[in-house]
Order: sequence, then C-alpha cells, then structure tokens
Amino acid sequence: MNQEFHYAPFRVEAGKIREFALALGLRNPVYFSKEAALDAGYRDIPAPPTYTTVIDFWNERDFYQLFKVWGLDPNDILHGEQSFEYEKDIISGDVISAKSVLTDRFDKKDKRFYQIETTYRNQENEVVRIGRATLIERREQHGAEIAGHS
Amino acid sequence: MAQKLPDIHKKALAPIDMVRYSGASGDFNEIHTVPKVARSKGFKEPIVHGMLLMGWAADALDEWFPGRKLSKFTVRFVGMAHAGEAFIIEGMLTTDNAGELQIKDASGTGKLVGSFELA
Repeated sequence: MNQEFHYAPFRVEAGKIREFALALGLRNPVYFSKEAALDAGYRDIPAPPTYTTVIDFWNERDFYQLFKVWGLDPNDILHGEQSFEYEKDIISGDVISAKSVLTDRFDKKDKRFYQIETTYRNQENEVVRIGRATLIERREQHGAEIAGHS
Repeated sequence: MAQKLPDIHKKALAPIDMVRYSGASGDFNEIHTVPKVARSKGFKEPIVHGMLLMGWAADALDEWFPGRKLSKFTVRFVGMAHAGEAFIIEGMLTTDNAGELQIKDASGTGKLVGSFELA
C-alpha cells in the first residue's frame, strides 16, 4: 500500500475556469467576471468546487499516468464516491501542487475498491483542498450490476 | 429544524454535453462518450461523468446559499445517468450549516446522494 503519485504543478487560469464552468452550466458570475469575483471578496476569479478534476486530468503528469503507474485501465474504473474538504480558495493565478496517496485497497465480490486521498497545495505551500475518492475497478463487465454498488 | 430546499430541475443532457464536459475537465474516459466502448464495458449507452453530477450539485448549493462557501462536500454515485434523462436535485438543510442533497431521474431513481457543510 502507501503508493504515492505526484502531479506536476498546475497553473489555474481564468479561461480554463470559464470553459469548465460553461460545461457544467454554472451560473454564479464569479466564475466568468473578474469584477463579480472582486465584488464577492475574491482577489481574482475563483475555481469552482469540483475544479480539482481539471488539475488532475489536464496535468503534465495526469490521472492517466497515475492509472498506468498503479496498473489500472481507466475504462474499467468507475467513480464510487468523492469528498472534498475546502481549506482555502483556489484562485486564478495560483499554482497548485497535488499529491495522491492510495490509502486503502480491498476486494468486495467481483469489484476492487481503491481509496485515494489527494492533498492540493498552493504556491505558498498552504493546503487548499483535500480530495478523497473511492474508485471501483470492475472485474467483470456487467454495467447494470454496478449501479447501486453499495 | 430540517428544512426542505426548493427542487431544482435540470434539463436532459445531449451527448454533445458529455463531450463538452470531457474536454473541459480532461476526463476522456470513453465510457462517457463513445457508445461502442460503453457497450463493450456492459453499459447500454455512454454514462454521465459522476463529477458532472457533483458539479451540478455544487451549482445547486450556490443557488440555495448564494455567497456562502463550502467547507465539506461528500457525494456517492448511486446510479448510472445517461443523456436524454431529465434530473431533479432535492436538498434538505438539517442544521444551520449542514444538509443533504440528492439527484434523481424523473422516475425517482437516485443517481447521486451527498452531504455538505457550509463554511
């Protein structure tokens, strides 16, 4: 156990936040307008609550490399659970570094569960967010049986 | 003091919306966009990204609690969601700062259940 994966430092950019917010249909103007962000008390455009996905996937050392290092096929992986602790805002211009740790792995019936904890730090080395994911690797390919896996 | 929050109705996604989310998020797992791959993995059609649903849930929190930030947000993906299905987001405030929410389809089948704490 105790496998670790280090993402590359990732610069948070307003244009990418806008694209992500549009894809989700977010309506809060702070994601689209610096003026609205400043009015809301941010120092620049903030990242939405689920933005760490972008940091994981649009990274020079991305989640697919984590899969590869840990021997997983992304098309066999389902996302079972996700949680976030929000410590500080992630703001456009920040450079975020992230480290994932495999905290647990266990088998249940025909599925293997992976619990991954990812700690995100900003350029000041402050923890901004902690993400905890449960991923489910399907040992047999019967989609209908996966729904409601708990 | 449990308090029901107003239901939020989401329009059905089109397949292109899942392509758009793949590009925006960087999650190019093909079970979300390529019918042939989805079928080969045992799904009848591509499945919506769990994190797209969690993003919707975060947007619902923004609508219910404008200007409030989150301190904790936890979700479980309890069912597969697909393009062409309309969804309802339901929420309940259980204390001053915390509550629960879920995303269901029109038949009431759950897709996401979650809990949140406001800062």
